[in-house]
Amino acid sequence: MTAFDVSSEAACRRDPHGCITCGDEGIVMRVLQVDETRGLALCETAGGERSTVEIALVDAGPGDDVLVHAGTAIA
Amino acid sequence: MRFVDEFRDAELGRALAGEILAAVEPGRHYKIMEVCGGHTHSIYKYGLDDLLPANVELVHGPGCPVCVIPMGRVDDGIALAHQPGVIFTCFGDMMRIPGSNGSLLDAKAAGADIRMVYSPLDALRIAKANPEREVVFFAIGFETTAPSTALTLKRAKAEGITNFSCMCNHVTIVPPLRALLDSPDLRLDGFVGPGHVSTVVGARPFEFIPADYGKPIVVSGFEPLDILQGVHMILRQIAEGRCEVENQYKRVVPYEGNRRALEVMAEVFELRPHFEWRGLGFISHSGLKLSEAYADLDAERRWTVPGVRVADPKACQCGEVLKGVIKPFECKVFGSACTPERPIGTCMVSSEGACAAYYNFGRFAREREVV
Repeated sequence: MTAFDVSSEAACRRDPHGCITCGDEGIVMRVLQVDETRGLALCETAGGERSTVEIALVDAGPGDDVLVHAGTAIA
Repeated sequence: MRFVDEFRDAELGRALAGEILAAVEPGRHYKIMEVCGGHTHSIYKYGLDDLLPANVELVHGPGCPVCVIPMGRVDDGIALAHQPGVIFTCFGDMMRIPGSNGSLLDAKAAGADIRMVYSPLDALRIAKANPEREVVFFAIGFETTAPSTALTLKRAKAEGITNFSCMCNHVTIVPPLRALLDSPDLRLDGFVGPGHVSTVVGARPFEFIPADYGKPIVVSGFEPLDILQGVHMILRQIAEGRCEVENQYKRVVPYEGNRRALEVMAEVFELRPHFEWRGLGFISHSGLKLSEAYADLDAERRWTVPGVRVADPKACQCGEVLKGVIKPFECKVFGSACTPERPIGTCMVSSEGACAAYYNFGRFAREREVV
């Protein structure tokens, strides 16, 4: 544990007031599976949380890390 | 975790703090604005300001989209939520923003069907699952979030989903920065530029800051070392007499931005002539609305909204906080009448808001200690 290593979990998630919007929040997720016909991918956070993500804006395949904001991979 | 652990290394952080100390000119006061609410949040979460020399002051900018939404737009959203048959969807922070007569959360308690979503795509899913109802998505955010809304609207149009519409409150980052730089009561030495907005728009749009106003800007990431390095790069530019746009966040931000995201935004949105910002007033070409091609998905065309401008509560000093003129604890109602549980001003609502960051991380009123 380092001085900086408060938690790898986003502070917003621990925030009792629940930051969801996060104007500029981005979460690194790993692509597990791509559904090319629908332009969606199943992605997973380092903590194991999975969700469906829009991947139309990036070139990403299984195993790639993407930066996800509001359900869309932006980088 | 990759891209996270290596940017939270305490030893490197202390070394960077030493380099920052070496880069400042003793006796000179430096005022640096972090534009983005995400930076504000990280600075106080990690106590980064305590690592900076006392003569380097960080001031907090208007980069929290929830904080800059005026009360009148909240009232418009509540009016839509009360329309018969409507399911109103929005991000969680938005639900607690006070309008002139309560928040969306109060409207939900009064019977309106208001649901929190994590993405616009979630709102579209609700529309598909409830074909007999009208689903409105309250879209909010800077250029980081706007492509997500744009993609969802494209998807709704392509799939022929007609019971979905969007109340668009998306804003753009460059016009408020220009307005801030034109403000006579603000003296800044440089900017920590927004990281994820720049993922979409690139670093190029900020070239006017050094060119027209002679201030350096460094687009920075959100981890502790990103922010410290961003501050160091600004101080080095000042020390070396340079003034330019630099990109600290190269692992994510391409200088030219994300072309596909910009294209989809250009297709779905167009600029409003004016948009009201909390505390900053009306700023030309700073807000987005749906383009003519997507007009049938525009909730403000589907229903009539009051569109009444509501003045901020007199006690609230969010405007001065958003312009970096005062610190949150200098506001008259900070931590007393205005708390995250019962916010008066928007800056206390979102955890990206400067007031909430100060409140949640215990920065009530203390002066900085000399490092």
